[in-house]
Amino acid sequence: MPLFLKERKNLTILIALIFFHFFLISMQVPLGENASVFEKTVFSVFSPIRHGVLSFFKGIGNIWKNYFHLRNVQNQNEEMKEEIFYLRQENNLLRNALQRFRSEREIEENLLAMHENILPAQVIGLDPSNYYKSVIINRGTLDGIKRNMVVLDKNGNLVGRIIDSISLKEARVQLITDNESGISVFTQMKRVQGILEGDGKGQCLMQYVLATTRPEEISEGEDVITSGYDRIYPLGIRVGRILLIASNASLHKHIIVEPYFDFRFLDQIAVIMKDPKELFKD
Amino acid sequence: MRDFIRVAIGILAAFLFYTIFSRISPFFLLFFNIFSLVVFYFAVEKGEIFGSCLGAACGLLQDYFSFGIYGVAGLAKTISGYLAGYISKKIDVQPPIRNFFFLLILLSFELVLWALLYSFIIPETLNTGGGLILFQPLITAFLGIISFFLLRKIKKNKY
Repeated sequence: MPLFLKERKNLTILIALIFFHFFLISMQVPLGENASVFEKTVFSVFSPIRHGVLSFFKGIGNIWKNYFHLRNVQNQNEEMKEEIFYLRQENNLLRNALQRFRSEREIEENLLAMHENILPAQVIGLDPSNYYKSVIINRGTLDGIKRNMVVLDKNGNLVGRIIDSISLKEARVQLITDNESGISVFTQMKRVQGILEGDGKGQCLMQYVLATTRPEEISEGEDVITSGYDRIYPLGIRVGRILLIASNASLHKHIIVEPYFDFRFLDQIAVIMKDPKELFKD
Repeated sequence: MRDFIRVAIGILAAFLFYTIFSRISPFFLLFFNIFSLVVFYFAVEKGEIFGSCLGAACGLLQDYFSFGIYGVAGLAKTISGYLAGYISKKIDVQPPIRNFFFLLILLSFELVLWALLYSFIIPETLNTGGGLILFQPLITAFLGIISFFLLRKIKKNKY
């Protein structure tokens, strides 16, 4: 075959491949909150392989940990860590429950249900375009994960919500620092209401607080908690602390809130396994 | 057949590398682009078409790991894989220093292309991990010349 024809054949294949990719990208853009069928298929194919590889290496790691490295102490430590994790979550949820329920009997009934509603999970991936946007966790539809379930860090601070179950064992969590997230919040002292939005850079902005709000009603360093008015996040979950309040020419104050969850230590998180519809049905 | 087994081993090695390192910390993936090394190694050996097809496959795998939009890394790798095959036909890229610059330029080109595509599709500020991602071509190129040198040595000893 003459060289120019051969080169043209090569270019044709390259152009075909480029078109294939453009077609692939166009199938997924604009990227909505739900994963496309294509994404789900790819995840379903590769997830078992990835989980297999991870389990293999985890197994090797566990042999070392369990048999050569103070076996009993290690076990006790793990159990205690797990217990602390559950207790912190329970403590946080109970504090919220106390604000909502007046009778002791109701609290006791809810006490039993709380423990069952916590599902520990691990962060296994980040959004490459912006780390403060979303994370992938190792729990999926098989574990009963549903959209809008609330996600907390190991200290019970708000991290975000489930926006999509990508596969049987993976789900995407929208972080509160995502600029597309919106949470109904108020300040802990005077209950000044606002909508908390992420700035996409690791912090949040408390929007729609009127510029006429007096300084004694809202101040820097004050805690911000969920109000429950958005009917996704239950009342009273700790969100962050007001870092800066500034007034400019607009109708609303410019309020920067620093989230309580620390992005660097976001290894273990807790999913509240209660459908928001059930949480807010009463 | 033997070539396909070698390619499969290369992809599998990159897959294992990504799986393990993403487990240790997803931030590690900012520094290395192992799939690109697999693509460039075989593109130099087999030519531009093989490079572009392998680039497409490896790019999709990388998109799987990054949980991003499928096709973005695929497109960048397809084009850079093609270029790797094409350039290596025109000039000898085997000497270590030339090989280093060849890898560095192609990896930088691929990174720029990927970033441009991402910014175009999702108009948000691309997180560069505080600029750490800019070291990716340099670190990967270093890793590349060492691994390519070793692979060629093994191959030479074998035949």
